[in-house]
Amino acid sequence: MADEHDVAHPTPAQYVKIAIGLAVLTAIEVGLFYLNDAVQLGWINTAALLTLAFLKFAIVVGWYMHIRYEKAAVSRFFTFGFALAFSLYAVVLISFGVLAANR
Amino acid sequence: MTAAAHEAQSPHQDLHESTGVENRKLAMWAFLSSEFLFFGALITNYLLYSGRDFATGPKPSEIYDIPFTSVSSFVLLMSSLTMVLAHNALSRGDQGATRTWLLATAMLGSVFLAGQVFEFTEFITLENMTLATNPSASAFYVLTGFHGTHVAIGVIMLLSLFGLSKRMGGLTNRQFLNLELVGLYWHFVDIIWIVIFTVVYLLTAVPGAS
Repeated sequence: MADEHDVAHPTPAQYVKIAIGLAVLTAIEVGLFYLNDAVQLGWINTAALLTLAFLKFAIVVGWYMHIRYEKAAVSRFFTFGFALAFSLYAVVLISFGVLAANR
Repeated sequence: MTAAAHEAQSPHQDLHESTGVENRKLAMWAFLSSEFLFFGALITNYLLYSGRDFATGPKPSEIYDIPFTSVSSFVLLMSSLTMVLAHNALSRGDQGATRTWLLATAMLGSVFLAGQVFEFTEFITLENMTLATNPSASAFYVLTGFHGTHVAIGVIMLLSLFGLSKRMGGLTNRQFLNLELVGLYWHFVDIIWIVIFTVVYLLTAVPGAS
């Protein structure tokens, strides 16, 4: 991972472009929700919405929180916490049969 | 040796010995990392109850106002932009722009909170869904209320920074880290909402309910 001072941070114009990208992804999410209302997309809708949410999450963490420009220790801390929480609650949800319910 | 002179001679005194990251910054990242477990528990709790049927009252997933929540989500997303612009302005030494973007972020956060108050009021008064209506409603209010509390704390920190900058005529190099830490916290609140909006609202909303 590069040192924070080695790589130039985005410019204000680039931050605005990133925000436009995030807004477009949100619009696609909402559009998918209504499309699924009209035509039942099933697991495709779930997978697409989760993928879009993860994309937005990664963009904010990477560019707005500057984790791309931080030292490795920082990203390790953050990634470990996220992975731990995700794994733990995925196991809980699976063990309670939530993922197998009618969704 | 005075504290100021000592600080001038030891600019890296706050750096963690082995990581090279300021202690307070590392602590903030560790704190945010631990918050995943907190929010994860509340989201999981909601998901466990959202698929069940209850004898009393409506479930949140039956009464969501998706267009309204979509606008709220957009507002919070844009507050991340204004926050990063405040950070960028201070790194360029533009104190006026820093204050403007800090205030804009606090205002967008306040708009989001007002939206949440409106949503809760509608659910309680029009839909008769209170905290005690059923376990799904309880899980929803606790999760979104807990997130809203985080937003409120963030707004207070942003306004404190704004007030400090206004009173002192600008933020110093030392206070730059404070702004960075508040920024990290604010973006974290945003990414948690990204997950809540998708998982709690879009994925569990009953078709045709909105």
